[in-house]
Amino acid sequence: MDITKQRRIQEHPILGSYEKGRVVHFTLDGKDMEGYEGEPIAAALKASGVMTHRYTAKHHKPRGVFCAIGRCTDCVMIVDGIPNTRTCITPLKEGMAVQAQYGVQTKEEWEASQEAKDGE
Amino acid sequence: MIGAGPAGLSAAVEAAEAGMRVAVFDENAGPGGQLFKQIHKFFGSRDQNAMIRGFQIGRNLLARAEAAGVEVFLNAPVMGIYKNHEVLVKIEDESVHFKGDNIIIAAGAAEVMVPFCGWDLPGVMGAGAAQTLMNRHGVLPGRKVLLVGSGNVGLIVGLQLLQAGCELVAVLDAAPRVGGYGVHAAKIARTGVPFLTSTTILEAKGDGKVEKAVIRKVDSRFQVIPGTERELDVDTILMAVGLSPMTQLASCAGCDVEYSDQTGRLSCITVTDEFCETTVAGIYCCGDFRMETAEGASSAILQGQIAASHIAEQAGYITGEECGARIAKCQETLRQMSGGMFSVKNKGRVDPTETDEGYPISRSLLERGYIAEEELQNYPAASYEAEGVHPVIECVQNIPCNPCRDMCARKCILVNGDITNIPLVDQTKKCVGCGLCVANCPGQSIFLIDKTSIPDYAAVSIPYEFLPLPEEGQKGTGLDRSGAPVCDALVMSVKTSPAMDKTAVLTMKVPLKYADSVRFFKAEGGAE
Repeated sequence: MDITKQRRIQEHPILGSYEKGRVVHFTLDGKDMEGYEGEPIAAALKASGVMTHRYTAKHHKPRGVFCAIGRCTDCVMIVDGIPNTRTCITPLKEGMAVQAQYGVQTKEEWEASQEAKDGE
Repeated sequence: MIGAGPAGLSAAVEAAEAGMRVAVFDENAGPGGQLFKQIHKFFGSRDQNAMIRGFQIGRNLLARAEAAGVEVFLNAPVMGIYKNHEVLVKIEDESVHFKGDNIIIAAGAAEVMVPFCGWDLPGVMGAGAAQTLMNRHGVLPGRKVLLVGSGNVGLIVGLQLLQAGCELVAVLDAAPRVGGYGVHAAKIARTGVPFLTSTTILEAKGDGKVEKAVIRKVDSRFQVIPGTERELDVDTILMAVGLSPMTQLASCAGCDVEYSDQTGRLSCITVTDEFCETTVAGIYCCGDFRMETAEGASSAILQGQIAASHIAEQAGYITGEECGARIAKCQETLRQMSGGMFSVKNKGRVDPTETDEGYPISRSLLERGYIAEEELQNYPAASYEAEGVHPVIECVQNIPCNPCRDMCARKCILVNGDITNIPLVDQTKKCVGCGLCVANCPGQSIFLIDKTSIPDYAAVSIPYEFLPLPEEGQKGTGLDRSGAPVCDALVMSVKTSPAMDKTAVLTMKVPLKYADSVRFFKAEGGAE
């Protein structure tokens, strides 16, 4: 999503404007996204209206940001191939590849494992 | 030092200034812990950071730490504490071992949760999470928000949601009363947000994310009352139902940890003595991690100073006499700060009928978040009449705060004796209407009223911390303490100054008979 259309606070009565890094591009499940360099990945996703970060392994239930300070691990995703990355405390960088996490797998891996299971 | 929040940093400063060599480890990319998302003016006394916004307290602490030569390792999570004070730290994917003669654990607390159907849906978050998103990162946590829990954390976040531009649909509490300071609740109530006490959340509904919240009334034994369900359209549900210390590192270090219900809810707490030392010699803990008083950052800073002073004395860096004096001073401040209606022993009580001064308790403030007009006569500073402009103080609970007294250069405002006493007005002193008390009352509970200068009208000055800032000559509606529209209002002036630190003083003209009712301004056609 274009950064100017995101759910961001333009001017705050106490804080004024926010100091932000440059605009960077990253991908979410292959889709082009925009955010500010150095802000947590989760902040950039929230600003774009992304709610689901992962699906639980057993019940396949969606999960998103819960604590936003690195405590609860509900917001973990696969970032540049590394699963279980806490997106709320991992700074966003140009070109990052962010993927929703299915259990601890990518969607493709998870789907393949489901098919294998169904085949049994 | 483990944790670069208010407790860890203040301890680090104290120890470093005493000449000790200090290393601070923090897993975050920046120091300050949760202080930098605190944008409200702090309560307390002037020498204890009162009136200063949290992030500014954080900046001041950091500057002192830097000047004292404190070394802060960031992105450095502590993974364990082992025998002989061995600390294992992860630095750039390496495990690095450190040893300290003394260790202070100030790793903070985590938000707790109450389970309900759908509590794990994306869109249900901790209130602190919303605070992080909006105040640290400038991102809206949601559009239509339901807040569950009316303790001080919930109330502070509630106001900040409004400041960020979110719609706050309601504040719920399962208890029959608002949990936090009445003055915090009143700031929200007068914008029109309803407080629903004796009400709990039953379910969060939605397809993959929060779309609705189902709420229900509860009886005095917290049992749901059938037939009282309501559905609210919300996209975000914020839980402000308490904090729990992150005691894992203390357990790992072999310190005794026990279950305690001193905060009204079963929590795991590290056993400490009055100097914050754990049952393992040389290992201390303080702040929310220790959570004896749960007074937040101000208490954390004091506890850090106590622990560091004790260590400095044990290690021979300050004399026993100096240590004793420092600790006594901190403990006296802690005692005062943890007194009053919201002290640990009074927490959540609904039975008291009188304040320490013998004034009746405002039931409306407890149940609905604002003082009922007919209750005002119970409080001298809220109900006296005077010629010309004068302060009206709607601060009617015993809370530890007194900067109003120090802000008034004319000495109109008195807080006698304990810091928890309710402010009084000295009517022999002449108010000049400068507005500094209005802008700097952390509870935003002081108003300037002038009923005699304009025939048939009154001038009502209120604190105002929202955007867009109304302009002189702007028309709008005067709202009462519950946020209900009362009458037309015309903005006479909007005053801002560095001494008011981002709190504007908005003066509006309202018909004389509404002078005691109007406490908020809503611009014509616009949002609050």
